[in-house]
Amino acid sequence: MIKKLVEIVGQDNFTDQLEELVPYSYDASMNVYRPDAAVWPESTEQVLAIVKFANENKIPVIPRGAGTSLSGGVVPIKGGIIIDLSKMNKILEVSIENRYAHVQAGVVCDDLNRELARHGFIFPPDPASSSVATIGGNVATNAGGIKGAKYGTTRDYVLGLQVVLPTGELMRTGSYTMKCVSGYDLAKLFVGAEGTLGVITEVTLKINPLPRYAMTAVATYARLEDAGKAIFQTMTSGVIPSVMEIMDKVTLKSIRENTDIALPDAEAMILTETDGFTWEEVEAQMEVVLGILKNNHPVEIKTARDEKDRLNLWKARKSAYATLARVSSSFVLDDVTVPISRIPELLVGIQGISQNYGIVVATFGHAGDGNLHPQILYNEYDPDQVERTHKVEKEIFHLAISLNGTLSGEHGIGISKANYMTLEHDPVEMDLMRRIKKTLDPNNIMNPGKRALD
Amino acid sequence: MPNQIKFDEKMRKAIVQCSRCSFCRAVCPIFDLTKRPIANASGKMILLKELMEGKLPLTESVAQAFLRCTTCMNCTTNCPSGVDPQEMVKSMRKDMVGAGFNNLFKAMGETIEKYGNIYGETERHDWGRKKEKAPYTLFLGCVGTYREEESVQETLRLLDILKVDYTMVDEVCCSGVLEDVGYSIKEDLARRNIIEIQKTGAKTLITTCPYCYRVFKEHPSYKDLGLEVKHITQFLKDFDFKVKTDKKVTYHDPCDLGRHAGIYDEPREIIRKIAPNFVEPRRTRENAMCCGAGGGFRGAFAKESVRIARNRLSQIIEDTGAEILLTECPSCLHNFRNAKRQKQKIEIYNLTEFLAKLYQEKTSPAKEAA
Ligand code: SF4
Ligand code: SF4
Repeated sequence: MIKKLVEIVGQDNFTDQLEELVPYSYDASMNVYRPDAAVWPESTEQVLAIVKFANENKIPVIPRGAGTSLSGGVVPIKGGIIIDLSKMNKILEVSIENRYAHVQAGVVCDDLNRELARHGFIFPPDPASSSVATIGGNVATNAGGIKGAKYGTTRDYVLGLQVVLPTGELMRTGSYTMKCVSGYDLAKLFVGAEGTLGVITEVTLKINPLPRYAMTAVATYARLEDAGKAIFQTMTSGVIPSVMEIMDKVTLKSIRENTDIALPDAEAMILTETDGFTWEEVEAQMEVVLGILKNNHPVEIKTARDEKDRLNLWKARKSAYATLARVSSSFVLDDVTVPISRIPELLVGIQGISQNYGIVVATFGHAGDGNLHPQILYNEYDPDQVERTHKVEKEIFHLAISLNGTLSGEHGIGISKANYMTLEHDPVEMDLMRRIKKTLDPNNIMNPGKRALD
Repeated sequence: MPNQIKFDEKMRKAIVQCSRCSFCRAVCPIFDLTKRPIANASGKMILLKELMEGKLPLTESVAQAFLRCTTCMNCTTNCPSGVDPQEMVKSMRKDMVGAGFNNLFKAMGETIEKYGNIYGETERHDWGRKKEKAPYTLFLGCVGTYREEESVQETLRLLDILKVDYTMVDEVCCSGVLEDVGYSIKEDLARRNIIEIQKTGAKTLITTCPYCYRVFKEHPSYKDLGLEVKHITQFLKDFDFKVKTDKKVTYHDPCDLGRHAGIYDEPREIIRKIAPNFVEPRRTRENAMCCGAGGGFRGAFAKESVRIARNRLSQIIEDTGAEILLTECPSCLHNFRNAKRQKQKIEIYNLTEFLAKLYQEKTSPAKEAA
């Protein structure tokens, strides 16, 4: 194996040194499994050769971007070869006149957006990890982010892909056009597939004009129901804010106690933003949103229009993850998503589960699209806490599904949620998923052991 | 096999605190160059975790991995979980040595011990600036003294022009760098420096090297120094300079001056006085990318170090289109000058050196045009 891989990528782009494989045994979840080797291909041809070789020899291959996944998505549970795409990081074409960007899979999101910003354009999905996350990883997990309610997720921007299929063939699928119903939408099949169906090597993305103005408001509520009402009334008012975030009282308390950000002792805080091409448009939208926020008995409302004040209002939300990460050594960060009107039920439910098991769960997230992030705080070296954490997670999943929600809005299933797939998907659907996987990947070499597909 | 790593409370806490978010990938100069997770802070924290948990045996090549860090601290500044990976790297380098893994810096320690400088130079340039007594003592450090002599010459000229009453001393290496590469400061050298400096009767010690600045200021071996320690940018910030340039000027924050010592504003205050056309690079101040020279990295991996400087330099040129790049650190200056390609038009100076040049242009403009 070593000889063949070195032949394909060169000595400098191959490793089977234990200490180099150790970091590849992890992502940001708690799953740990060792790969047998790692390669840094520099071209699609090399990826093709690697996959062909792996398929002939039935060796698992795991495509990997920045490895920021929170689900074990890139952790090699069956060993095998890590294909690290970080060196394939060229922006191949930015076509403003045709509104697309064509990039290699290893391009970092922020790098792409910096390039697009020069033309006044943007690729809107903005996961928290955008400073390091790759476009290939975004596509593989259908990454979302804060602006999902208005701008959708990665799926909405994927026009076409170049994919190395598990059977060692190269496929270009999709289009360079804004519309396309020519054949099955195979490109979308690979979006969110977490590398189980092939290695994405190039991506054609639709891009948007960059909104020129934005206005921000923050509202706190003494009752969760009021906050919940404010959210779904806003989302159905005719105005779709570009941001509609919520933080629960555990999150607020943690920020208040561990930073110098002054926050009221409230049940929930909403952060919202309207954006647009002109000030008038932004203000008119905000007026509607503010009217609704005010109608639902807020404790306090603040607004900001200049950059400095805006950043101030954003401070609490931006610091949520870091504060919680500092308060507790270990945590699990989930991404259950429910229909928007069920958010208060989800929040109340999570708080109940947290109390039942004596495990702190702080919840914040993208209320505008129903996607919440319960951050479960525990100590990974305390077996009892680990067990209770698993139970908390399980109950949160059951709760989300019972509210007509889904296990994962934007992180993916990976290893961590694989056991819960049948909770959300009926046997017929599971069977079809497995058949699709088997058809494309008869030897089960592509990121095996994930999402209960094998 | 030696495997006596201590894993004290601080280390244990940092290891579990790292959430493996990988955000540090965006700022690590060595990761940027190699794209290898092991080069990144997160990779090193994971190695430490497995060492602590007994899952990874401590081998020579594991020990080697901890040498690949410029201790630039950019990961620390950008870590959402409050981890300070470079501090762990430094402490690990010491533990590794303690466990019997000598590293390539052992030779550097011996050189410093024997010659009083990191390069093993036997002759020290006499700058002709040594007096018996003066209110200010100037300390240059090894890199300036032995590798950027022309730049130092200009810095000295500037102090003369500004009529600063200073003296130099028979300095030896402050030897603080040994602490960062697995060994310990040389107490006898520290004592020698203290005695020499105190002899001058100076009230203030001015350093041109940001690293020396930190050592004099922070290291316990220098606690009896008894002088106020100032980096030269702190010392010069309130001076009136009678020179100006219209050229487009930018500034690179040395990691040791910026992130490590918190000195960001003083150099900028000086630059604003002399260069109205000043532009910041995109990655600047707390987020400035490292030039690749620090933490022993240049000594151990010279080629990669220069390639990192090349990346940083190209990025600065692309961001700013500046004609002049200023910094105030002999190591950064040295690395950038080595990295500069001929076709790159940018000129690179230490700020003090550039000021002296402006004074010279003012007094003999014809020369400049020639
Ligand atoms: S940024 Fe901090 S928490 Fe994240 S991987 Fe790096 S060291 Fe760990
Ligand atoms: S200190 Fe600098 S070189 Fe070292 S791991 Fe952190 S970012 Fe990388």
